[in-house]
This record gives sequence, C-alpha cells and structure tokens, in this order.
Amino acid sequence: MRSLSYVRAGNVREAIEAFAAAGEGARYIAGGTTLYDLMKLGVERPAHLIDIASLEGADRIDTRGDVLFFGAGALMADVAEDDVIRRDYPVLAESLSKAASQQLRNMATVGGNLLQRTRCPYFRNGAIGAYPCNKREPGSGCAGIGGVDRGQAVLGASDACNAVSPGDWPVALTAMDATIEISGPAGTRSVPISDFYRLPGNTPHLEFAIEAGEIVTGISVPKTAAGRNSTYLKVRDRESYAFALASAAVALRMDGNHVRQAHIALGGVATRPWRAREAEALLNAQTIDREIALAAGRAAFADARAGEHNAFKIELGARTLADAIMIAGGKIQ
Amino acid sequence: MTQEPTADRPRIDAYEKVLGRALYAADQPITGLLHAMTVPATIAKGRIEAIDATAAQKVPGVVRVFTYEDFSQIKTTPAARGAYGQPGKGHQPMTSPVVRHRGEAVALVVAETLEAAIEGAEAIKVRYASGPFSARMEDELASPEAEPDRQLSSGDAQAAFAAANHRIDVEYLHPQQHHNPIELISTTAAFEDGELRIYEGTQAASAFAGGLAGMMGMDPTRLRGVSPYTGGGFGQKNGIQEQSVLVASAAALLRRPVKLVMPRGQLFHTASYRPRSRHRIRLGADEQGRLLAGLYETVQQNSRYDGFACDHGANPPRMYGYRTWQGSDRIVRVDTQTPGHQRAPHEHPSSYATECAMDELAEAVGMDPVEFRLANDTQNDPITGKPFSSRHLAGCLMRGAEMFDWNRRRREPGALVADNGGLIGLGVACGSYKGSMTAAVTTLRLFASGRCEIATSGHEMGQGIRSVIAAELIEILDVDPTKLEIRIGDTGHAPQHITAGSWGTGSVAPAARSAAMKMREELSALTGAPLSEEPVHVQLARTRRLSLEVTVNTIPLGKDGQVIEQLRRGIPSTTGPEYPEFMAFSWIAHFAEVHVETSTGRVRVKRVVSVADCGRVMNRRTAESQVRGGVVWGIGAALREAGETDPRFGGVLNNDLAEYVVPVNADIGTIDVDFIGEPDFKLNMSGVKGLGEVAMVGAAAAVVNAVYNATGRRIRHLPIRIEDLL
Repeated sequence: MRSLSYVRAGNVREAIEAFAAAGEGARYIAGGTTLYDLMKLGVERPAHLIDIASLEGADRIDTRGDVLFFGAGALMADVAEDDVIRRDYPVLAESLSKAASQQLRNMATVGGNLLQRTRCPYFRNGAIGAYPCNKREPGSGCAGIGGVDRGQAVLGASDACNAVSPGDWPVALTAMDATIEISGPAGTRSVPISDFYRLPGNTPHLEFAIEAGEIVTGISVPKTAAGRNSTYLKVRDRESYAFALASAAVALRMDGNHVRQAHIALGGVATRPWRAREAEALLNAQTIDREIALAAGRAAFADARAGEHNAFKIELGARTLADAIMIAGGKIQ
Repeated sequence: MTQEPTADRPRIDAYEKVLGRALYAADQPITGLLHAMTVPATIAKGRIEAIDATAAQKVPGVVRVFTYEDFSQIKTTPAARGAYGQPGKGHQPMTSPVVRHRGEAVALVVAETLEAAIEGAEAIKVRYASGPFSARMEDELASPEAEPDRQLSSGDAQAAFAAANHRIDVEYLHPQQHHNPIELISTTAAFEDGELRIYEGTQAASAFAGGLAGMMGMDPTRLRGVSPYTGGGFGQKNGIQEQSVLVASAAALLRRPVKLVMPRGQLFHTASYRPRSRHRIRLGADEQGRLLAGLYETVQQNSRYDGFACDHGANPPRMYGYRTWQGSDRIVRVDTQTPGHQRAPHEHPSSYATECAMDELAEAVGMDPVEFRLANDTQNDPITGKPFSSRHLAGCLMRGAEMFDWNRRRREPGALVADNGGLIGLGVACGSYKGSMTAAVTTLRLFASGRCEIATSGHEMGQGIRSVIAAELIEILDVDPTKLEIRIGDTGHAPQHITAGSWGTGSVAPAARSAAMKMREELSALTGAPLSEEPVHVQLARTRRLSLEVTVNTIPLGKDGQVIEQLRRGIPSTTGPEYPEFMAFSWIAHFAEVHVETSTGRVRVKRVVSVADCGRVMNRRTAESQVRGGVVWGIGAALREAGETDPRFGGVLNNDLAEYVVPVNADIGTIDVDFIGEPDFKLNMSGVKGLGEVAMVGAAAAVVNAVYNATGRRIRHLPIRIEDLL
C-alpha cells in the first residue's frame, strides 16, 4: 500500500513549515475535491499531505471595507449563499452556485477552486488511455490537438496544448480584477489574477503562478458599482453538474443608459480564464441592445481558432456573451 | 382477499434498500477475502510481448500477479461470455498474449487489501506489439459481414414504394451508448461447503453453472451463482463478464476467496454497450395517408469475434398496417469489446429512426402525426398475418393526446412561442416490445405461523420483481408481506433464467400465481373441505401441520416440459413474440413538449405524457417508476448520451459519469404516466405483458419530433446537442 503522512496545520506559518519539513512529494489539502480526484487518476501521488482546511481564520468572508475579501478556506457554498454577494455581486455568487454540485460546494474551498485542473479527457485518462499529454508528461505530445476536440479551447491554445481551463469562479474573478493573496517560505505577495493563470505555450504543465510550498490565503476583489449589474451565464451539455461549453462573466458600470465600464471574462472556451478586452472596449459609452451585445460577443472571439469539432464554440461563445450582456444590462431575465 | 393487487403499494424491499441493509454481491461478508485489480490494455489491438511484474510483486500485501500464462487452461466454449447463443468464436482476455480491444485485462493483481491491489496493478509494465485497427464502423479496417443477420419481407415493397404518391428516403444515426448501472460490475468467487460460489450482481445467476463451469472444466453442479440484488442491470449484466472467469480462476488457484469490483473507467471497455447503428428508411404512402411500403436497412457495429446480432428490423413492421415491407439488418466488425443488450436493445434505436421517419412522412402527406398513426393502425401483424394477442396502441394514442392536450400543436414549426421567447415544439412517437415468457421452477412453503417462503426463477434488478411476486401471493393467499421471504437470483434455491427481455414479470407473475393456487388446492385437500375466508395459515394450523410445501414448474405457452430441463442447465429458453395463434407485444405512445432557447439552441423537455398497454398492471407504483425511468433514458438518448471514440486510439474517451452525460434532475420536467390496464389472458394466466423495455421505446423519437416542431430542423443523429441547433 502506498502510504502517506498526514498532518493538520493550525495556521499558515505552521502549514508552510510543515510543507518544508515534509520534503519531496508534499501537497497541501483543503476540501480535497480536486486532489483526491487527481490521486485516483494517478496525476497526483503525494507522499505527505498537509491539511489546511482548518487554518485559523482561513474561512473569513469580509464585505465591509473597500474590497471584498474571501479567505481561501471559505467554502464555495458559503460564498455562493452570502447575502451581500448575492445582492451586490451576482456574477460571483452565480459562478459558484452553477459549479459542481451542492455536495461538492459544501466541501470545496474558494482558494482550492482556483487550482482546479483541466477536464481534457486525454489528460484525465492516463491509466487506461496512456494518451500523449504534455500536461501529464511534458514532451509526450498532445492528443487533444487533432483528436476528439469538441470540448477543447478555441482561444489561447498552443501547438503543445488546447485543454480548456475548467473553472467558473476564476472566470468571474478575472472579470472583477481580483487579486490573489499568497504566502510562502519567502513571505507574502499579491498577484493580480491576470498574472495567476499562464497560457500553455511550450510549458502546458505549468498552469499557475504559484511555487511549491506557497499557499493561496485569500482573494480580494475591489468593490465596484458594476457588481450590481452583473451575471455569470453558463451554457453546458445539461442543466446542472457539468462544466461549461461556454460561459461569460459580465459586470457593467452604468452611467444612466450608457455603459461606463464593462468587465467581461469568458470560460469554457479558452486555455485560461479569458479576459475579453476587445468586447469591453466595444461596449464603452454604448446603450445596450441585442445588436451591440452580439457585436461584443463576436469581437471577443475575433482571434478564435477551431479544430474539427469545436467550431460551434465560437458562435456559441459569442451568443452566450451577448445573452450575458443583455442580462447584466437588465434587458432580459 | 383484502388488498387490490395492482394497488399503489410500496416496494416490498424499499426499507431494506433505503436503509442500506440490502447486501449486494460485493457486500458479502466473507472471511479471508482477497482483493483483485486488473491492468487494462493500452493498445487497441496486438500482442503482449513482455510483462514486467517485478515491482508489483514487491508491493507489500500483493499475494500474486496473474498473467495469461496462468490462465491458458481457461477454455472458450460456445456458452462462454458474449456468444449470446449464436455462433461466435468468443474472446476471453488473459488466456493468450492476444489483445483484441483497448482496456481488456492483461494482468490481474491479487492482494490482501484493495489499496495494495491497485498499487500493484499500477506498477505492472507491459510491452506490446501493436497492430492496425479500426474501432469505429466508419473507419478503414471495419469489416461489413457479407450476409445480413435478418431479413423480413411481405409483398413487393420496392414496386409499392416506387408507385407511392408520397415518399421519404432518410438515414438516421444512433451513437454508441453505455449502460452505467450505479452498482459497478463485481465478481466474488469463494469455495464454500464444497462448491464454488460466484457472487455477482447479475441478471443470469445460472450463467455460471451454464458457462463458467465449462470454461473452468468444472462439474456444473459444483458451481452456484448468487445474485442477491442487481443494482441496475439494463442488459449489461445478462451474461458472464470478461472478469468473471479470471476472478474464479484466481480463487481456484489461490484456494482463497477473491473479489474484484471493476472500476467504472474500465467498465466502458470491458462490459457490453449499445453499438452504434445506421438506419436507412424509405416509406411510401398514398394520397389518403395509407402506408403502402416500408423499406428498412440497418447496419450495426460489432466486435470481431462474437455474434451479437443486428435485430433492428424485428419490430418496426409490426407497428402499423404496412401493405408491403422489406427489411435487412447487417453487422460491421470493428476492434472493440462485444456490444450487447442495453434496455430495448434494438427496439429503442429502430423506434427512434422509424418513428422520426413516420413524422417526416406525416408531414409529407399533410396529416397530423397522431391521425396518421391512427389511420394506419392494425390488429394483424403485416409479416406473419397473425393477429396480436392484444393491441391497444390506438387507445394509448388517444388517451395520451387528451392528457397532453395535443390539439395545441400547430403544424408549422416554431408557431408556438413561450413567454421567454423560447420555441415550443410538440412531438409524438410510439413503441412496441415483444411479449416474451420463460420457464420457471417455484417452491412455495406456507407455515402455520403465518410465515411464507417462496423460491423461484428471476432476478431483482430494481424493476420490482419481488413486489410482483408479493402481489400475486397477496391476491391469492392474502399472505402478510412482512412475513414473506422471497428467494430469487440464487441457483442454490431454484434454477435461474436470464432475467431480461421484459419477460421477468410475465414469467414470475404466472409462476407465483400458479404456485399460490396449487397451495390452495393442496390445503383444501388436506383440510378435506373448500377453503374458508379465514387466513390460510390458520386453516393450515388447524390440520396440525407445521408447514405445507408445493413445487410448480411453469412452462410458457408454446413450449413443453423439456424447457424445465433447459432452464436447469442454464440454457436460454424463452418464447415470443410469435406464438402458434398470435403475435404478442406491449405497446406505448409518448408525447413530448420541448422548449428551445433561440439564442443558444438549448433544448428543455418540459413535459412528457406516456400511455402504455402492458396488459395487467401488477403494481401501479413500480410500473409508473419503470415508465418514468424509461422516459428519462429516452430523453438522455435524444439529448445527452454518446460514447466518444478517438479513431487514433480506440476505446472510449468520456469513460466516467461526469463526462458521459446522462440527464440530471434539472433536465427532467413533468412525466405523466397512464396505463390501458387491459389484461392479456391469451398470453398468460396473470394477464401481464412486459413493461420495463417498452417504457423507453419511442421516447427519444417523441423528443426529436418535438424538436422538429419547435425549430423546423430534422436532426438525423443522436444526441441532438447545442451545436446542432445553433
């Protein structure tokens, strides 16, 4: 039996020290909903688990100051059901409530959710498939390119990888200019979410701007009036419990009938949470109607490239974004 | 007789199951049990050149690593797995270095713990010589069989088609699907009391004595199959699994009990599945909408080595009064495991194709699809000319149309619009399933204490067969269901048939009923007077006997006493749908309402109404559940399910329940179910026909036809996904 050590840390410093002391094969574990899954798939084979699920104060949700602060250990379910978030930032609440299932949301943390890995079947199917996958085994190739690519990315792919970034919450956070708070052996640092997720390039196995031994401790989101006019729209192969084929996080800061600033990010279509600056620019100073919403949708996918089976994601993504803009703009329910 | 047998009564085993007390095959507490894990092949075709088990053998807890060199004594017999009673060469993994499909077992690691077995399996290194292959029937090396599996014809369909006023000529494609019962397929093999017991959640406990004994060179009487419950079977558990003989052989070689629970990811490659199929349909009608001709050609994928026949053509010609018919069914061989029966194995795909084609022809003729079907109703089978034992399909259509408010439907697509702008579509489709029965041996024992024991042939797989048995005993003997013990699925108590093909209820209900009636006769003979209104056990007690036992052999219509011997030997022995005097089928009509979101093309099934003619309804609650489950599966087939294969690798990519998309609760709207409820006493003394399979037949077509009515688009493949309607 493959044995592993397990310790439960009481605070961040203890956790970081335990990680360093454990040496090779150490992993932090919080809700476990991703790590256990990856262990079953043989992607992760930890020798030491440092449990950070009950770090002191790690589940703090603070909506009182200039920023919204979410402790990394806050449960997805608790943030999704927070009254202030639901009322003032529906984009954040919806991105969580439309993810996974209630049972998973009751276990999974908003910090751990940032580090979820792709659902690409070639990545996940190591044991039976032993398919080439540069994420699992750098240099082995990418079966997703030229394969059954219906679910693969149309934005941000490289010659080494076209796997989709799976999350919903990171997409909403990307739209809302969140900052990720990180602690590690060398101290603490803050990383804008736009720098947290890497494009695959030639190193698709490197997905997050976080080093071994570092812990995500919290997420800060600057408060904005755009939050009230916001939504997370997720289109998938069934009504619940599925990853997005296309999703859009939209928040609109309005000046009367005109858009003063749009926040837009896309999910389900790209290799990382995808900020759609072109679409944002196009909405600037405009009044929202179906035509401009669809133009913004198309602008977001102007550089998209499809494989054999995923071309529909370009049109679906544009229309999903258009619908989300209409919802955020109060034009449709 | 105080209780109405068709009452809305809870399942007799409901509490046991809900409380987790029901012990399934893999739950059996067995002392000294070892755990096994398989190593799946990572090539689709070729040979094993070398297996390095050094690291695996060093894993603490690993007892032994088995490879094909340990199992070459296993014989592939005609009764071995996958042959389905038809000529087939068969292929048992791990009996030679040959690999014939991706994911088949190439090594079996047995250990003291499951964790050690898994770790050992992951440590095995296999070197292969890989060969060229095709895993899809469209690919280069796929081999069509020269001869059709089946041909049915009546009259000159080609000429009638050519002369018809209205004609359609279309092709429909049905994808590969996987059953995915929640109970994983497990095998536990243990030598107990001098016999080898195989505990497996199966629909065919007799298959072990009938097939496994031969594979292992054992005396069949020393092999007992036990299937305490089956946590969903749907046809995937109707024979010996690829793993069964491997686990049994490991137990025999180690002289210790061994258990293997096959992980779901591997089951997509080792268990049966519904094969991909193509259906070309030509239908012709005259100006009045009378069906003049049906021409139906189907092709279905199969493995290289087994005989799972293509049988799509069996039911469609029986649906309506076709003046002429011509049909043929063929198979194409590819490099996968053998496909098999999956709920309404051919009836579902063929009803999908032909009932969608009927919708297209109704459109061409300019008739309402319900009217069109009613106008072509028949009481005689167009192929044999025999009458149906009972057919209330017109009644199903008329009652369903009323419940559904079908008259809302507008012929022009997209004419009905919901408040949110979604397009509303209404669709109808029908289905049938053969009325089959099989032999049973039943022993009924009544105790003066009021206790009652029955052992009979049949398996509980969620369909509620225990509740059906109880219903008959309650009706005839008024026994107390809390004092009733029902022993099924165990060859140690009674010979077992394969419980499939919707013949479970039609066979077990008459078996239980005739045993109960014989009990009344024997008791009456014992008391020397006709039975009174008093409880039967009180009347028995008065005779000073502690118990009374009767045994009854039930021989289905059209068979003789030999069938009991066949049953005892585990040989399938079913009847139907053709009987000397008639043809027997269950019938159903489904109505579906879909809403299609205009911007994204998302389809939501808001309501389904289904009305079935299954003869007498044995238990309203389990019957409605059966139909709802069938409809949910039909919705899944129409809009969700497909096994995805990468032609470069073979195998199934979306091999888990997250990525193999089946409906969730949020996908399912209202499902209203009703029954005609007319007993069919021509078929058997209980008046029951089958329900489990007919429930889903036509459901997918109703959804597809509704999508057409909403959007004006004929999508001729399944599932209909977002990209099809964008």
